[in-house]
Amino acid sequence: MANDKTNFQLVANGILAENPIFKLALSMCPAVGISTTVMNGVMLGIAVLFVQVFSSVTISLFKNVIHPRIRIPTYTLTIATWVTVIDLTLAAALPEAYAKMGIFVKIIVAFAIITMRLEMFACKEPVQASFWDGLGMGLGFLVGMVVIGFVRELLGSGAILGYDVLGFKPLLFFILPSAGFFVVGLMMAFFNYIEIAYKRSKGQK
Amino acid sequence: MKDIFTIIFRLTLSCVLAGTVMGTTFVLTNKAKKHNEHVKEERVAFSLLGFKGEVPESVTMETAYRYVLSRGGDQFIGYLMPRQESKEGGYRFLQLDLDGNLAEKYRVDITAEQAAGAKERDQSISAVLPQGVEMRFAEQFKIVFRDGVRSAYLISGKFPGFKTHIAVMMALDSDFSIIGFEVLEHEEDPGLGGEIEKPYFKNQFKGKSFEVVQDLEVVKSPIPEDYLKALEVDIPPEAVKKVMQQHRGDDIYALTGATISTVAVTEGLKGMIKKFAYRVNVLDSVIDNQQIAVSF
Repeated sequence: MANDKTNFQLVANGILAENPIFKLALSMCPAVGISTTVMNGVMLGIAVLFVQVFSSVTISLFKNVIHPRIRIPTYTLTIATWVTVIDLTLAAALPEAYAKMGIFVKIIVAFAIITMRLEMFACKEPVQASFWDGLGMGLGFLVGMVVIGFVRELLGSGAILGYDVLGFKPLLFFILPSAGFFVVGLMMAFFNYIEIAYKRSKGQK
Repeated sequence: MKDIFTIIFRLTLSCVLAGTVMGTTFVLTNKAKKHNEHVKEERVAFSLLGFKGEVPESVTMETAYRYVLSRGGDQFIGYLMPRQESKEGGYRFLQLDLDGNLAEKYRVDITAEQAAGAKERDQSISAVLPQGVEMRFAEQFKIVFRDGVRSAYLISGKFPGFKTHIAVMMALDSDFSIIGFEVLEHEEDPGLGGEIEKPYFKNQFKGKSFEVVQDLEVVKSPIPEDYLKALEVDIPPEAVKKVMQQHRGDDIYALTGATISTVAVTEGLKGMIKKFAYRVNVLDSVIDNQQIAVSF
């Protein structure tokens, strides 16, 4: 499956057409469990972005050497290595950020989106394309997490980024994981609706 | 058949490569990470005691170290305490038996910097101990002196939380009431158990006396409005003081959706204070009875 998109199209693809959370429905665990505030979403999104880009590039570099039968353990190994490297580097270089992000970074190993992207794209496509695709997917994940976090934080604790906006807590229910399912489901529907409406308006032109 | 060997070989190679990358990163970053942790602990210690920037002249801090010793079948507790007479430092190592009586007393002539390094400290202590005594480092705690009088303690502890462990540093007054505590490490869920780091939770423990803490429970009700405002310091300082005084005897109000984390922290702190107060009292009586000249 040769890739014929430009670099910009690859990035846009990751954010819109094949958004990991809303379209591909992958990595729902963090989307549901951790997106309780916008800041959490941002932190995790950035961490996933880094791991995705590095893993995509690494696998793409070694794609001719990986034996097809053991590609899954190899992906897991690559992702685990990069997560460890990023964890250690953050702890040493940016202790302030690490104090907030540290918990999230360790969870990334289990995300489906990264393994899936390596399988679908990185192991077949050249390095440059893999880099932009990884970037797009990471950004799509980040955008998704921020949007979900925004809704949940606003409706659950009446705040945005920790600043009390509403002055009261409308529905504490939104912070609990069960609400995450609701919010993600509704946002998926909303996302799809916007896409259909956009295509329709484009088709009519 | 040939495939298996290729697979094994390539997989081993990948593991070795991954291991090398991770190991190199670890070696490169470990020193910086330890330094960051050390700086953070110092900062936390100062802020807990209420010092915003410079430590005032009248305040000094000494570090004491506790060891567990065993000789044959007997167990002892050893304390490395700073000596009082000489201004250049030097330590005394007090060996107490499990009944709280002084068994042995040794002089350990090292400086505070040397005592801070775990290996050097262990080596200098084993040098003075007789043969056949095994020792294991247990913990260290800081004693804060104001004008030469004991004014506060700083202790660290680790206890099981909802997920893994929670590591805290706590400042206690000389009568073992809580001055405050900080969460150093935890892996609780962000937004739920992670709220133990927030002021509206931590400040609930502030100022609680030793007696109150011994019977402290967790209660599943919402925090009263005025108390919440005082905890988050949303009102002027005099009002904060008054409200905190009113609620001093209150139990801890559980975090929404994180009762287990709340209970873990409450029980953990309770245990830490109980054990520490007991040990300090034993140590105090030994020092008094034997008239040992240590800074304590």
